[in-house]
Amino acid sequence: MLKVTINGIEIELEKPVTVLEAAKQAGIKIPTLCHFDGLPPFGGCRLCLVEVEKLPKLQTACTLMTTDGMVVRTETAQIKAARRAMLEFLLINHPLDCPYCDKAGECELQDLVAIYGPEAGRFAEGKRTHPESFDDPIIVRNMERCVLCTRCVRMCDELQGAFAITVTGRGSHSFVEPFTGGKYNCEYCGNCLTVCPVGAIMSRLHRHSYRPWYVEREVQTTCGFCGVGCTMILQMREEHIIRSIPRMGLGLNKGLLCVRGRFGYDFVESTERLSTPLINKNGQLQPVSWPEAYEYIANRLKEIKEKHGADAIGAIASGRCTNEDNYMLQRFMRFVIGTNNIDSLARLSYAPTVSYLESIFGQGITANLIPGIANSDGALVVGGDPTTINPILGLQIRAIRKNAGKVVVIGPPGGLKRFVTNALITDPYSEEMVLAAVLGRLSEEKELRGELPRLEEKIRAVKIPSQDELSDAIEVDEINAAVDTLKGMENPVVIIGPEIAMQKRSSKRLFLIAAIAYLINARLFVLSERPNLQGLMDMGCEPHMLPGGRPLEFEMFRHKMEESLGKKVPESKGMNLFEMLDAAQDGQLKALYVMGENLIQSLPNREKVESALKSLELLIVQDIYLTETSRLADVVLPASSWSEKDGTFTNLERRLQSVRAARTVSPGRADWQIIADISSQMGDSGKFSSVESVWEEIIHISPLHAGLSYEDIAKGNALWPYHGEPLRGVEGEFDVEGIDSLPEKRDKEAFYIQLQRPLYHSGSTSRHSRALLSIMGEPLVMINPSSAERLSLKDGDKVVVSSDIHRAEAKIKLSEDVRAGEVALCNTFSGLNFMQFVDYEVSPVLGCIVITKNNVNIEKVT
Amino acid sequence: MEKVLLKNIDNPDSATIKAYEAAGGYQSLKKALDLEPKKIIEEVKSSGLRGRGGAGFPTGMKWDFASRDPKFPKYLLCNADEGEPGTFKDRPILEKNPHLLIEGMIISAYALQAERGYIYLRGEYPHARDVLEKAIAEAYERGYLGENILGKGFRFDLSVHQGAGAYICGEETALIESIEGRRGQPRIKPPFPVNVGAWGMPTVVNNVETLANIPYIVEIGGEAYAKIGSSDCPGPKLYSISCCVEKPGVYELPMGTSLREIIYEHAGGIKGGRELKAVIPGGISTPVLTPDKIDTPMDFVSLPKIGSMLGSGAIMVFDDTVCLVRVCWRAMRFFEHESCGKCTPCREGTGWMRNILERIENGFGREGDIELLQDVALSISGKTFCPLGDGAANVVLSFIRNFPDEFEYHIKNKKCSAGEE
Amino acid sequence: MALVDEIREIGRKYPDRRGALLPSLYLAQKEYGWLSQEAYETVSEALNLPPATVKGVATFYAMYRKKPMGRHLIQLCTNVACMVMGAERLVDLLKERYGLEPGGTTEDGRFSLVIMECIGACDRAPAMLVDTDFHSDLNETNIFEILEKYK
Ligand SMILES: Cc1cc2nc3c(=O)[nH]c(=O)nc-3n(C[C@H](O)[C@H](O)[C@H](O)COP(=O)(O)O)c2cc1C
Ligand code: SF4
Ligand code: FES
Repeated sequence: MLKVTINGIEIELEKPVTVLEAAKQAGIKIPTLCHFDGLPPFGGCRLCLVEVEKLPKLQTACTLMTTDGMVVRTETAQIKAARRAMLEFLLINHPLDCPYCDKAGECELQDLVAIYGPEAGRFAEGKRTHPESFDDPIIVRNMERCVLCTRCVRMCDELQGAFAITVTGRGSHSFVEPFTGGKYNCEYCGNCLTVCPVGAIMSRLHRHSYRPWYVEREVQTTCGFCGVGCTMILQMREEHIIRSIPRMGLGLNKGLLCVRGRFGYDFVESTERLSTPLINKNGQLQPVSWPEAYEYIANRLKEIKEKHGADAIGAIASGRCTNEDNYMLQRFMRFVIGTNNIDSLARLSYAPTVSYLESIFGQGITANLIPGIANSDGALVVGGDPTTINPILGLQIRAIRKNAGKVVVIGPPGGLKRFVTNALITDPYSEEMVLAAVLGRLSEEKELRGELPRLEEKIRAVKIPSQDELSDAIEVDEINAAVDTLKGMENPVVIIGPEIAMQKRSSKRLFLIAAIAYLINARLFVLSERPNLQGLMDMGCEPHMLPGGRPLEFEMFRHKMEESLGKKVPESKGMNLFEMLDAAQDGQLKALYVMGENLIQSLPNREKVESALKSLELLIVQDIYLTETSRLADVVLPASSWSEKDGTFTNLERRLQSVRAARTVSPGRADWQIIADISSQMGDSGKFSSVESVWEEIIHISPLHAGLSYEDIAKGNALWPYHGEPLRGVEGEFDVEGIDSLPEKRDKEAFYIQLQRPLYHSGSTSRHSRALLSIMGEPLVMINPSSAERLSLKDGDKVVVSSDIHRAEAKIKLSEDVRAGEVALCNTFSGLNFMQFVDYEVSPVLGCIVITKNNVNIEKVT
Repeated sequence: MEKVLLKNIDNPDSATIKAYEAAGGYQSLKKALDLEPKKIIEEVKSSGLRGRGGAGFPTGMKWDFASRDPKFPKYLLCNADEGEPGTFKDRPILEKNPHLLIEGMIISAYALQAERGYIYLRGEYPHARDVLEKAIAEAYERGYLGENILGKGFRFDLSVHQGAGAYICGEETALIESIEGRRGQPRIKPPFPVNVGAWGMPTVVNNVETLANIPYIVEIGGEAYAKIGSSDCPGPKLYSISCCVEKPGVYELPMGTSLREIIYEHAGGIKGGRELKAVIPGGISTPVLTPDKIDTPMDFVSLPKIGSMLGSGAIMVFDDTVCLVRVCWRAMRFFEHESCGKCTPCREGTGWMRNILERIENGFGREGDIELLQDVALSISGKTFCPLGDGAANVVLSFIRNFPDEFEYHIKNKKCSAGEE
Repeated sequence: MALVDEIREIGRKYPDRRGALLPSLYLAQKEYGWLSQEAYETVSEALNLPPATVKGVATFYAMYRKKPMGRHLIQLCTNVACMVMGAERLVDLLKERYGLEPGGTTEDGRFSLVIMECIGACDRAPAMLVDTDFHSDLNETNIFEILEKYK
């Protein structure tokens, strides 16, 4: 405990803090420029100078630590004169072009000069000049305005960990630059924009069209791109989103955003948005009125149900839609249509991964706090690059390293490259081998504690590869080094990416990871590419699960549901995504209701999926664009996008967060609303006047959400378990494929095509964002430089990529983030995408997707 | 006085280990390794040795702080950046008596129990680099460096780290940044290097000359050493003297020798028998003096009393043909060029002052410029992150204070009075 | 030894290989003649440091060459002592004789000239470095005798 006096006010402090911080606690504001909360102190701008008794010189409040009995003054005549002098210094080389500087009105330099002066400058010589840089599509750099606070560089290095910009030169010829000196070659998080106090680093997106006082409203919402769920503020003028910005202290992202959240919002204002319902008449989609569309849908569904039964109808829910939307869709299927045929693209990997882990460890095992990752002393990362899939979570892992923790990555480290302690970069398809070896070595070091007998029994049964068997995949020394790192971790986390599920023997790999996590006692995280994959599961959008995480198979749960709602739950388990597609192809499934997903683009073997959808009698698609899938539909319903409706998302740590309408008009209607309308058209008695009324019903029937109000959620307290205890105890049954065998060897000479999950895109939605397209505007086939050498290719060469089922021309890009033998392609663009080249099977244990036919040939186009 | 630091340097082979040993070199090391490390620190404390890099901080106290810090490894860094204009006193040690520095460093490292040392050598001294590297190799060969030195179980590794043209890297925390491979900008203090220095570990940074005094202190003992020169800052001192004297060069004299004695007795008086106009006593950053002050003893205590500083003991003598406005302008060009850019007043203020001085010197001075210069200098003084900015302000303030007429003459007559008959 | 290996070797002298950055930049400068983007990338790769960081560090220091230079680099001091002893006249002469401006290179690519801050030779002023050779007590005649030896 220490006492300090600032401007006559006595303050008691628990522990020493900076004078700046102490003053803040006392409500005294000391002006600063180079200081920024969360960044290491710098002490360069000299604006925070204060007088401290017994010290002869003025001191910088941002760097000086308080000591007991310290007496500080912050606004004497001497201090004011010093501040005016500092500002005069800053202005001598500052262009004073405030009238056309976009920062005017929120410029910290402008504000400070207004307070401290000088009223006039005395510098008579020419100012330093430096041309404004327009080399980048997103960021404009004007280094004449820079005050060299270095906040941007510290942000980039210390918090973002991208190390993309630097101060070059020295003295008054110091400039902030990316490596090229022109275009940024960075993660485009835009966090440098947040911290720049002046107009030196500005967004190009609203150049010369923005003044802070143009902002009419600010709406706090949750980002709609990935499963982290960053809190962001949408600044609105009329119906336009002017900017999306983070706010310090708000949300789990605490003032940071990634490129998608910060710049990708413009997709909602794309001119390609659907604005009217369409019905296929004579082979052509024709605009119709909403009532006509509703009537048509209701009639056709009734007809099909009467003729073929409720189970001939299915629905696909969406991880981009809110809990309320998804709840309504399953409600419609279960109670209005009368079937459990509901599933989603969460089936590809997220849902089976989470469910499998829950069957090993118990429900809610993946409900761990993202902000806690940075506080752990180690991480094991497998199955994908967190810095591109869930960027803000990725930053937490980077922070582990900064806090002197350790990071082990199995697979290409990607954006963690500068942050790994051990990277086990194996050949494609040898993760299982590596995991088994790690488990083998680790179980020599760590005891089985007897907590989970079933898991332990299986750990004992695993076939561990011998040194010889391993030598083909990886050096034994590397395994040993990684195990040494892992066993030293005290409160580690294990981060599991989607790639773990997508290959054969996925249960084996996932089991091995679970076993390792068990041995080192780690918290688990499953990466989620969409904002609400967890939410749709909790809402019951699975063929075997009811809302609130209750298995359909238990009669008790069906009963409870009936009691609360007065509606009977269909008994038989529904079809999952894959079964529905097969059933459509076979003619068993007659109608499919797709909400907010582009199945054709998102699933392998386009021909097969198209043919299945075409075999349907009725395809209803609710979307914001005319996609590859909605083009095939009989009825297309324009939906509201993420920023045009209210509701909630549940992120990957199972935090419920508010999504709010920023645009008050929408070319479409909220998904929940459309479904409510169709339900009542079909005679449902439910009355849903607002999104709250949907939520009311959810908290009425879901034990997971019981009693949780929107206010609770808005306060940010809605963490799982939302109220009370987790639902189910530990240890279920689980199978493991090939527990006593080693994986089959892959051909080392062959090339495999891999799904690339770029930071700059998100599924096919982001191809409507001009901002994101300006960063990554075309699909590139990424290969490792060594592969390129083997094929005598160089960066930018045109090649033909061919698999068993597809062949296309593409441009190649060399990248160390891709392993030798791997060919990575993203799935965003319509002409050339990963899914076109491959086929799939369904994993027998996990029920997730297994990508097949991913062997490709690459030939140079001559 | 018997030469201690420049002993034997007239011998053309003085840089070789053979010549050094023949003149009694490495005997102090042998003696030191038989002492308790603490004992050596005590000796250095009682010697009263104060750092020769400019700040004059008591060396024994610095070592004590570092050795009390429980963290290991510790680092010993030799500051051979010698960047202060007018200073070239470390150069003869580096180029002609490298083993004295190396011996001093090994003893110091032993006292501190540091296992690793670097000599941060300015990039402008390529010849010194060759000499030092050769000398270090010789010392390794003889078992003075490396594992198990002289069979006493102590290990110390030493190498040269070459700077690349940045005056600020002479500042000890900037020097540490530079050794770590960073932009050479000073660090926030506290924590001080003795606790959190290179790579976060306790680190001692000492000037070449400081370290070169260590073998002698070990040889004759702290108390005997304390009797040399000025009583509160004893020892031999290297003074470098340049500009308008007959015999510019480096002179090893007892600390506290007067400016008059150095200029007139050792350096042969003012060149061509001209009039002395001004003296900078301690390198360009120290305030200039008028001729009436030259009886002041050159040490850390006496010079501050007359408004200047000993700094690096680099005496720059200007006779009546030298234009002091031009000197002031050139000095400011130096500070502008060397400002690291971290803090506002130094980064922007040095350039501004250079601009004003430039127009005065070129005959475009305006009325009020002197006051403006003083005001800008006062806005810098005491408000910068490190002392570099203070140095820049000192130049302007002391030149104007001591030679106001010369500035006024420039502004009024649009030309210089110096050298006019 | 390849540059990358040489750099990694130096890295061993430091508890953290980033310490080798300044020496590595000297090596890269020697190899490439100046610090081009490519030179930065090589150093960046060898030390596993972000290229922007490498560039930021390099450009802080005056003695690294940020542009291509002539065959011989004249680093002439004009700081106070050298100035007082006539260095500015030498700058003018270099311009007259070779058309060489501070910061520039002669047309034939023979010399580049960089004005230095104090090079610690004030007692033998004016002084200069030509490449890594030190020359002092310069005057209007001997400077050219010296320079003529550099072809
Ligand atoms: C701007 C600036 C430049 C400095 N340059 C040097 C230098 O070139 N050589 C040196 O030994 N000390 C220099 N110093 C002093 C060092 O910071 C430090 O005090 C010294 O290395 C400590 O060694 P000592 O105690 O042996 O003197 C400089 C200080 C400042 C503020
Ligand atoms: S005074 Fe400021 S800008 Fe100048 S060198 Fe020191 S820290 Fe850098
Ligand atoms: S001023 Fe030129 S060497 Fe010192």
